Amino acid sequence: MSAAASGRDRGSALMLMPAGLLIVLVLASIAVDMSLVHLRKRQAFDLAAAAANDAATAGVDQGELRATHAYLLDPERTRAVVGDVVAASDLAPHLVGPPVVTVSGADVRVELALEADYIFADVVPGAPDGAVVRATATARAVP
Amino acid sequence: MTRPRGDDRGQVGGIEVLPFGLLVFVVGTLLVANAWAVVDAKLAVDAAAREAARHFVEADVPDARNFADAEAAARRAGYEALAAHGREDTRSSVELTGLESPDGQAGFTRCARATFTASYDVPVLRLPWIGGFGSGLDVTSRHSELIDPYRDGVPGSAEACS
Repeated sequence: MSAAASGRDRGSALMLMPAGLLIVLVLASIAVDMSLVHLRKRQAFDLAAAAANDAATAGVDQGELRATHAYLLDPERTRAVVGDVVAASDLAPHLVGPPVVTVSGADVRVELALEADYIFADVVPGAPDGAVVRATATARAVP
Repeated sequence: MTRPRGDDRGQVGGIEVLPFGLLVFVVGTLLVANAWAVVDAKLAVDAAAREAARHFVEADVPDARNFADAEAAARRAGYEALAAHGREDTRSSVELTGLESPDGQAGFTRCARATFTASYDVPVLRLPWIGGFGSGLDVTSRHSELIDPYRDGVPGSAEACS
């Protein structure tokens, strides 16, 4: 390598260093945004589990239980209990749609979807400003 | 004239970039660290509110109006959850913010909804070994659970649940 050629690269490390730091920061921001999605997923699962857990007992058809001793869930009542649990949560404004409640005998299955908003990706033009996470939980009352 | 060795070439493209790069790095690191601190605190307060609510609704209470011991135990469980996440007691709070039965009364009865709210004051700047400085964001989480209508140890009947 000639002396002239090596001279052209002088000082380039000083430019590369801030660029490198910027790349590190961008990667860190992506990591924070992804952790937000993970956080929302956990919250969605906790909310679905809490709703299913409450509905598995509070949604029982009391008339049927007293008349025949059969432990069956009342679909209307179960849906109402799930709706109350979700409405009482601070995640209610982030719901994509109403929770889907499936009742089968004594089993209840709750599916819900929540929006997860990004913090840093928002500033990138054209990038999505959030993601939708889904969670499902099933519960059954065991005597 | 001979060209001096080690001249100033490249310095214009470098020297002013050094403080700029340092500034971008310091500010960016603080921003990302603070964002992560909020996410981490949210995980902690979520767990604390959930633990407190679960603990409360599963407590044995002698009387619908006499639930102070159960509330204290539930708050303790919430604080323990926060401590398990490495959070300071002085910056956190776990409170029973709602206890309402289906007929609108406040009391530990079957089907009553207990709501716990956990908060944590995230410091603006947190340094290793030294601790946090300043009052940043207040991260809050709320969790509610129904008191089981059919379990033992709860005053009242389940008829009001229907």
